[in-house]
Amino acid sequence: MNFNIWLILAVFLPIACGVLILFFPGLKKRNLLLGVSFLSLAVSMLCALAVIAEGKAELHLLQFGGSLEVYFHVDPLGRVFAAVITVVWLMAGIFSCEYMKHEKEEKRYFGFYVLVYGVLMALCFSGNLVTYYMFYEMMTLTTLPLIMHNKSREAIMAGLKYLFYSLCGAYLVLFGIYFLNRYAGTLDFTAGGSGLEAAGGHSALMLVVVFLMILGFGVKAGMFPMHAWLPTAHPVAPAPASAVLSGLVVKMGVLGIVRVIFYVVGPEVIRGTWVQTAWLTLTLITVFMGSMLAYREKVMKKRLAYSTVSQISYILFGLALLNPEAMTGSLLHVVFHACVKSCLFLSAGAVIYKTGKTRVDELTGIGKEMPVTIWCYTFASLALVGIPPASGFISKWYLAGGSLESGIPVFSWLGPVVLLVSALLTAGYLLPITIRGFLPGADYDYEGLQKKEPSGVMVIPLLILAGLSVLLGTFPNPLIHYLNEIIGTLF
Amino acid sequence: MSQYWIVAAILLPILGGALTPVLPFRSRRGMLIYLEVLTIATSAIVLTALSRGTTETLHLVYFVRGLSISFRIDGLAMLFGGLVSILWPFAMLYSFEYMEHEGHEKIFFMFYSMTYGVTLGVAFASDMLSMYLFYELLTLVTVPLILHTLVREAILAVRQYLYMSLGGAAFALIAIVFLMVYGDTMEFTLGGVLNPAVIGGETNRLLFVYLLAFFGFGVKAAIFPMSAWLPQAGVAPTPVTALLHAVAVVKAGVFAILRLTYYSFGAEFLKGTWVQPIVMGFAMFTIVYGCSRAVKEQHIKRRLAYSTVSNLSYIILGASMMTPAGMVGAMAHMVCHAFMKIGSFLCAGAIMHQTDKKYIYELNGFGRKMPVVFGCFTVSALGLMGVPGLAGFISKWNLAKAAVESENVMAYFGIGCLLISALLTAIYMMSIVIRAFFPGRDFDGRSTEGVRDPGWKMCFPLLCFAAAVIAIGLCSDPLICFLQDIAAGIY
Amino acid sequence: MAFVQNVPFFSIMLSMFSGIVSSILPGKAAKRLNTAVILVIGAASAWLLSWLMRTGGSFTFMMGHFPAPWGNEIRAGALEAGMALFFCVIMLLSMLGGRKKLFDEVEVTKHNIYYILTDLLLSSLLALVYTNDLFTAYVFVEINTIAACGLIMIRQNGRTIEAAVRYMIMSLLGSGLLLMGICMLYDLTGHLLMSNIKESVAAIMAAGTYQIPLTITIGLVTVGLAIKSALFPFHAWLPDAYGYSTVSSAAMLSSLVSKGYIFLLIKIFYCVVGFDIIVGSKIPNVLFLFGLSGMIFGSISAIWEKDIRRMIAFSSVAQIGYIYMGFGLGTTEGMVASIFHILAHAATKSLLFVSAIGLTDVSAGSRNFFDLTGSAYRNKVAGVGFSVGAMSMVGIPLFSGFVSKLLFAEAAVMHPTHKMMPTLIVLAVSTILNAIYFLKTVVRIYVPEKREVEAEKGYFTMKAGQQRLYTITIILFILINLVLGMMSEPIIGIIETGLIHFI
Repeated sequence: MNFNIWLILAVFLPIACGVLILFFPGLKKRNLLLGVSFLSLAVSMLCALAVIAEGKAELHLLQFGGSLEVYFHVDPLGRVFAAVITVVWLMAGIFSCEYMKHEKEEKRYFGFYVLVYGVLMALCFSGNLVTYYMFYEMMTLTTLPLIMHNKSREAIMAGLKYLFYSLCGAYLVLFGIYFLNRYAGTLDFTAGGSGLEAAGGHSALMLVVVFLMILGFGVKAGMFPMHAWLPTAHPVAPAPASAVLSGLVVKMGVLGIVRVIFYVVGPEVIRGTWVQTAWLTLTLITVFMGSMLAYREKVMKKRLAYSTVSQISYILFGLALLNPEAMTGSLLHVVFHACVKSCLFLSAGAVIYKTGKTRVDELTGIGKEMPVTIWCYTFASLALVGIPPASGFISKWYLAGGSLESGIPVFSWLGPVVLLVSALLTAGYLLPITIRGFLPGADYDYEGLQKKEPSGVMVIPLLILAGLSVLLGTFPNPLIHYLNEIIGTLF
Repeated sequence: MSQYWIVAAILLPILGGALTPVLPFRSRRGMLIYLEVLTIATSAIVLTALSRGTTETLHLVYFVRGLSISFRIDGLAMLFGGLVSILWPFAMLYSFEYMEHEGHEKIFFMFYSMTYGVTLGVAFASDMLSMYLFYELLTLVTVPLILHTLVREAILAVRQYLYMSLGGAAFALIAIVFLMVYGDTMEFTLGGVLNPAVIGGETNRLLFVYLLAFFGFGVKAAIFPMSAWLPQAGVAPTPVTALLHAVAVVKAGVFAILRLTYYSFGAEFLKGTWVQPIVMGFAMFTIVYGCSRAVKEQHIKRRLAYSTVSNLSYIILGASMMTPAGMVGAMAHMVCHAFMKIGSFLCAGAIMHQTDKKYIYELNGFGRKMPVVFGCFTVSALGLMGVPGLAGFISKWNLAKAAVESENVMAYFGIGCLLISALLTAIYMMSIVIRAFFPGRDFDGRSTEGVRDPGWKMCFPLLCFAAAVIAIGLCSDPLICFLQDIAAGIY
Repeated sequence: MAFVQNVPFFSIMLSMFSGIVSSILPGKAAKRLNTAVILVIGAASAWLLSWLMRTGGSFTFMMGHFPAPWGNEIRAGALEAGMALFFCVIMLLSMLGGRKKLFDEVEVTKHNIYYILTDLLLSSLLALVYTNDLFTAYVFVEINTIAACGLIMIRQNGRTIEAAVRYMIMSLLGSGLLLMGICMLYDLTGHLLMSNIKESVAAIMAAGTYQIPLTITIGLVTVGLAIKSALFPFHAWLPDAYGYSTVSSAAMLSSLVSKGYIFLLIKIFYCVVGFDIIVGSKIPNVLFLFGLSGMIFGSISAIWEKDIRRMIAFSSVAQIGYIYMGFGLGTTEGMVASIFHILAHAATKSLLFVSAIGLTDVSAGSRNFFDLTGSAYRNKVAGVGFSVGAMSMVGIPLFSGFVSKLLFAEAAVMHPTHKMMPTLIVLAVSTILNAIYFLKTVVRIYVPEKREVEAEKGYFTMKAGQQRLYTITIILFILINLVLGMMSEPIIGIIETGLIHFI
């Protein structure tokens, strides 16, 4: 039971420290600021790791009205998400130390950076839908300053768009929660769902409700048709923030859907219904569309943002199939994509930091100038495309396998086809940078070449993340095994 | 015995206020102390009387046709009376500093005090006629307050207010007469007073009359199309708009509708009839209408006034569900909205008082300079949006719960309207917050020079209200249980 | 026969006599005589009323020693006594309130004529209230008309003469129709005494003969009296008459003269024809329609008016509409409501006229709406009086207007016919319209005018001490209003008892 202390600390320490950093006026010196931020992050992460390691904490924190309760409960799924978040957050945090030198107002950035970590931990460890919703809204509000960080007009408009879309999604979810409060067995997360017995004759209504919740969480996950905020908001944030937004914050939308479908409602409710069909359609559209738009996009960070749109829908597709094997693929991709996308964004950030170049066509010969960075980029790209033995291959294998096995008409073969096409497009939008980066062609100014490798503080996280992208694919078995245990309880 | 205290509480501010211009005060400070003591004393009397909780009726004066002016403390009266008593001392304190720069203070405070007494009269009236009397008096006694600045706008606004309020009350009188003829008694009884034996075939006529009275009282409750007076009344000094048009006058309107629906005609009589969709429909329309107008409005107080229009219809939506749960939701929002809206208006007033700026686009960058004011404003904004942890979420939750339980399809759309409104609220409130804290890169500090937080007399109420919003948000059980008891008729 | 039963005869004779005597008295003495007479008659009526309430019932008083049906008779019941008392009170207060203006507006040599006219007016009103004979009624109707004309004309400017002429023409038209009706009634029934006529009419109705002539007769009488009491659409003479005459006249005309005719109409309905027969004919429906139209039209015209006195005059048109609407409902409750409204309106309208003159006085005599800005600060008493009157008109509870509205609405709802909804809706709409023009004025008089403008236009301030009589008058009017508004039960009781014994 004393692990509850670690739980509270893991969640509320970063929040408290973040607030402190924001409001305490004495943190003017940069080193002090960094020191405090990292200390708080480090301590929080240790607490989180302790919770993850133990794996069985549970805490009823506060009942604020009727059936509304803040309830934390650490379960295996939460542990997986928390672990991924912790690692990537740390990497991006280290990266930011150097990167943020050329942005202003670091105090606000680091304050919110620490704060958001706490909120994400709360989301992973949430035990019921109300708590999840509460911290979901908090997440939207606290990531907003990160997006609007550079206060340019573009950034503020992007922030407002983000706010608007996110709230739209959050309110769709809230609509569903109102109904689930009445008709679901309980709002607490139980593996396999507590079913909708109380719904009785309202099954049509409940399907609508569940669909709206999928759409609602899907906003954050960038699912068509609510994806338009993502390519606007993610690029305009500072690079490390983009990395965590694309890599982790969107996963909270995914987690939300998983929790609703598999831990509250139960997959059987939507199996075979129009909800499942619609969901599958939307995800496949997004996969294809995201890749197409990424392929045509010239601004680097925006290209990566569209890529995120596409990749997350891989995950959602796997979930929509309601099939254990596909779900394995999805959850694997959650982990892999987090590492990969953050690595990609961080390298893009390194490029911007060192050379100021944001567009793809400016990046000829970049590999010569920043070899380590671009090699990390390359390995991450390979993982995303799905080349064995990099991680993406494993997750795509499981997704395709699950799709074929699922036996759903049309989608069972359409899915793998779309995935394949998208993989080709992924290659098309990621690899040319590598190719032209290392092999710039005849009319490149070899003489004026300068090494612009960023400092160790920025390179090491890149290396670690790229390494993880490959290694998790080469040695996936422990992870797969653990995920299978989780999934086994859900169907 | 405690009914006599109620009469004392009603008369004390009326007489004390009426004496204000006449008493010889040695200094302005002396007058202010007198007023504040008067207000606090009245509140103390009210709260003491409520805690003793007797429920006998006090017939003060009989006049015509067996009708009398009588008072009784029942649940709804406790709620409204208690709410008003808690809020008035704070608003009075705030108005001291605010009115320093306006003129004609003595007359102002005279009527401000008298309004308090009259509002208590509305709250504690035990039958329709007594309530009607104090309702009309409320209209009259607030006229000088709106007229205070004596500019042409104020004259036009007060005329519109008068015509609409009195006109509405005239239609409500029709209902009173019908209740006299077809009801057992004029006293408010939960469940209605209509005598089924007497009604015979007159049901449709009675329903039509209910509708007339609904729109009649709906003038003060600002339901479309009777809402036009409320934004115009924003021309009054802020303590007036804050207290009266966010709390006292408009809440008297919804209070009257609640009394009309649940305590006179009776929810059972009205539920399921053709009147219910009409009433619900207008409430839903007003919810969205108010918010849409607020988004377009650039003047701060008018924006908040439109927001009030919208929020009042939340309460009416709850009332229109004609179930105890709906009543609970309506009452919950009565309380929560009062705190949130009075906080926002007082913040707006503080801005206008300190800087003379009235329009949203003039507020760039004020957040840093007036942290207390904008901090409290942010709390109100988040509360109005319905962020969990603050009061607004609780009331919306209860409203939605009632809607879901009612199994009325129109009510489901009602929830949709609530959420659309939440989204629009986010736009029009957060745009102010973001503008204040993230003014954009090309912002220079010059326009905010000399901007500071106001003195303690204005800041203290702001902080108290913000704290209350948070407190209700986190610990709403006592309130909700109390409201459920009221709806069940225990009080 | 108790001594108190002489009071009706005594009242009429006294006032007539004092009128005659006043012709040889100088102005001041006439004034004192007038005041004394009104006080005495008022006190006597109060005594009569209390006696009647105690004993119940009504009595007839033979004039001279000629028994019916040859001699003349007076009838007195609770209702009549109450009306007499009320008329005295209103007349007294109107005279007091307008006394100062009388000095300003009327030549000194004509003052005693004024008091003669007032005395005659009082006597004719009392006669109309108490008479049991149709011919006597007609005679006093004519005396009433002449007295009223004189009262209008006493203030000599072009407008009043025009107004008086117009009034004369229309009034005589009304009288003519009334006379025709009376003659035909005499033809049909052979009697002039009201109780006798009633028996004959009942017999005629039972026999089924002379239906159409009877209906026409009733119609003529009704229209005649309606013209004289300014029912829409016969109201054209009213705004000028009330608007331009001197204050006391305006107050008395609006409160008493038209009400006298209405009371006579009530008498004819109840005592001559019989209430059931009236309801059976379609006449109440016509009255109802005109009443409703008057309510709306009067108020709308008032909204357009920029002259405050004419505005109040148009308001009278609307209020008379209310009364006829009450008739039109065709039920006892409707009648009670109408009679109560006669009282309420009399009290309120006089208050309004008297207050209005106070306001215009401190605005350099201008009656224009815009010039009245801030006048309530210059003459606080008048401001308060006007506000109270306005609130009563609008129907704020605690004032008399609210009780009338309540009674009308209740009367409508008690007997749900197709008349109910129009009544209720028009009541509500007319409240809104009243609110528009009255409250607009109240707001206007309480918006302070700038000092420079005040000095420039020659406005001055009048304190309460400077106009003691005026202040007392206003306070008494307000008290009456509050009494009617708050202690209405006993008064309604008197009316109801009176109606029962009317027949």
